Amino acid sequence: MNAVIEPARLADFFTIFFTSAMVILLGALYALLFAYSRIKVMPRLMPLAYASYLGLFVSTLFLAKAANLLHHPLWIAVVVFMLLGYLLAPHGIWHLCVGTHVDEHAETKDVVQKSS
Amino acid sequence: MAATIGKLDSANLNGGQKLAVKYFITAMVLFGAQVLFGLISGLQYLKPDLFYEVLDFNVNRMVHINAMIVWLLYGFLGSVYWILEDEAQHEVVGLKLGNLIFWVLTAAVAVVVLVFLFVQVGPGKESSIWLINEGREYIEAPRWADIGIVVSVLTFFYNVAATFSKGRYTGIGGVLLLDLLALFGIYLAGMFYTTNISIDQYWWWWVIHLWVEATWEVMVACTMAYALMKVLGVRRKIVEIWLYIEVALMFGSGILGIGHHYFWIGTPEYWFTIGGFFSALEPIPLVAMVVHAIFDAGANKIKNSNHPTMAWLIAHAFGNFFGAGVWGFMHTLPQINLYTHGTQWSASHGHFAFFGAYATINIAYFYIAMQQWRGKVWMAGDQIGNGWKWKWSIGLLNLGMVGMVMAMLVSGYVQSQIERAIEGSTWAGYFAAQAHPWFVQGMWWREIFGVMFAVGFVLLVWDLMTVGKHETRSMVEAKSAE
Amino acid sequence: MATNQWWASESFWRKTAIWVTGGSLIVLILLTVDTLPQIAAGSKRVPAYSTINFRIEYKYDDSRHAQVPVIGMKEPLFGKELSEQDAEALVKLGKLTTQSKNCMNCHTLLGNGAYYAPDLTKSWLDPNWGTKELREDQMVEFIKNPSDKLHNSMGRRMPKLGVTDEEARGVVAFLKWMSSIDTNGFPYNFKPIEQED
Repeated sequence: MNAVIEPARLADFFTIFFTSAMVILLGALYALLFAYSRIKVMPRLMPLAYASYLGLFVSTLFLAKAANLLHHPLWIAVVVFMLLGYLLAPHGIWHLCVGTHVDEHAETKDVVQKSS
Repeated sequence: MAATIGKLDSANLNGGQKLAVKYFITAMVLFGAQVLFGLISGLQYLKPDLFYEVLDFNVNRMVHINAMIVWLLYGFLGSVYWILEDEAQHEVVGLKLGNLIFWVLTAAVAVVVLVFLFVQVGPGKESSIWLINEGREYIEAPRWADIGIVVSVLTFFYNVAATFSKGRYTGIGGVLLLDLLALFGIYLAGMFYTTNISIDQYWWWWVIHLWVEATWEVMVACTMAYALMKVLGVRRKIVEIWLYIEVALMFGSGILGIGHHYFWIGTPEYWFTIGGFFSALEPIPLVAMVVHAIFDAGANKIKNSNHPTMAWLIAHAFGNFFGAGVWGFMHTLPQINLYTHGTQWSASHGHFAFFGAYATINIAYFYIAMQQWRGKVWMAGDQIGNGWKWKWSIGLLNLGMVGMVMAMLVSGYVQSQIERAIEGSTWAGYFAAQAHPWFVQGMWWREIFGVMFAVGFVLLVWDLMTVGKHETRSMVEAKSAE
Repeated sequence: MATNQWWASESFWRKTAIWVTGGSLIVLILLTVDTLPQIAAGSKRVPAYSTINFRIEYKYDDSRHAQVPVIGMKEPLFGKELSEQDAEALVKLGKLTTQSKNCMNCHTLLGNGAYYAPDLTKSWLDPNWGTKELREDQMVEFIKNPSDKLHNSMGRRMPKLGVTDEEARGVVAFLKWMSSIDTNGFPYNFKPIEQED
């Protein structure tokens, strides 16, 4: 069995700092564009959201390579988990938003109908 | 019997709120101490002979970080007293005791600081740990003060629990109580001496990590939930469901996220993957907040009656995201943390995260308090002087903080490369990095932005004392949120 | 329209919050129960205090891709072999001294603390002490009277903290013992002092 971690090489430091920052930033940008596109009913924003995710995907792979994550099954699992988790989280949260705001929307619609 | 608009009048406050403002004022004083001692310690990097053997770096730095811990806690305690009566629909039970404990706790804090400053160190005996200084970062308070803190927290718990019991239990109240219990229990983990430094640091992280990355987060989520109802008029039911969701996400990722502190203190290797996995999870609550905030902003027409508070809540969202999320994840994987652990990287992340996640939310509450104290005064748009004081202070404080954080990042980068990767953390390697021009310039810029931050702090104090003073309009209340 | 899904209901999330919190806490407690014996003094990762009677080295281990402490031949601290009890008492005096002198607000220990002065994790093995023959006395002397010693080119100096001779010996014992802790290769690429005879 390989060592649990393989320390990064000096040459990879910048790649690691940069890509891990990008993972979080693009993760948030993807979530933001995704939610904005849905709430404002602007489907043309959706490709941008997925482009952000694509950036996240690529960043994660570069990060995984630079941090030597692909040498050990446990770390590969973490990478796969990140790729899937960041893809699905905004979808899940969106459903939760809709689900938890059901009553309020019914009310808002009432108000709109009455005032028109 | 409407009070005079714009005049400070304690008749505008309920019992809990009168106690809350005492906590808030003390918090601001300690915030000032934090800034002052931060500036001195920062200057000592540049001028090492400054106050040498009078007020050494270790003393200044200890006061700097302890003032922070205590002022943030004072802000939280104050915020809870602030919302307590309204939330429980009952006046605070045992308020006199609560008041007494405030004075006892504050006197204890003053004594501890004076001992830190004037006694500083003691002989290598347990009595030093009991009376002078425990010598463990962040929880340096001597043991007698620890016991005082425990008694105070218990009294506080009694105030809150009894008030909710006599009044009504809300979702916010329930989460708050359980969180307080955890906060109290965890503190006990830091209250014993052991010679074994691995075991010492194992439990030390329970206090530090489980406070900062778990129970504090949930405490803030509770007071934030209340603020959202009051300032933005979001409905209670929705706020409470989302509070539960955030609690599940924060505790679910945060509790075992402690693993990322167990890489290098002697603990077994399985903590590598636990730490790595849960660190990757920790941004998920932030992603959830992003999506939910967009959803809310789109679904409701936001009207807010307190612009400074709203601005600080937005600063909180960004600060938390960048400071805790981005800055945390950049150096958390063990493969890179091996080189960044214990360098200016940690300082950069620490400054950004503490300020972004906690200082901001406390300041937001201070503005809520001032608005009420001056008789629900107008604090929305077109304030007197166009609100230049709060706008400049929030600008200077945030810019100063971001500047400091960036400067320390540059220094930390140099340190991780030269000291750690190349030189291998020997004494010589350490100083090779500390003397490197980039590192030194980083320390200069940190100090310059620190001064900017300090100016912002002075403006903040001035603004909090004067905001709404000559205002004649009263606030437009958010629609009732029950 | 107002049909609440079970997964979006208040009670579902209240229960989830409680179960997730409780579950995480239980896992943390179980891991703690597993970890504590592995880091007790006298364990493989955290050796007994009497380790100060032996030479401590820091060598690269191929299978772990990291440097690990290796306990070598007998080499008692200050030339005097101590019983387990006496060794613990001396290390305890040292640890108490590092706490009451507030070392951690300039130095890091195991990487935790402040960043104004060098990390102490492997300071016992630092080449700065010259030769291993000079090391012990140099360390004691330095801890007692640091003000006038040469530290670095930047003028940053350790203050004189009123450490007694006995306390200084305790600190050196504590530092020697700490260098024997298996820290998973932290600090990385460390170049220890020459200790071969």
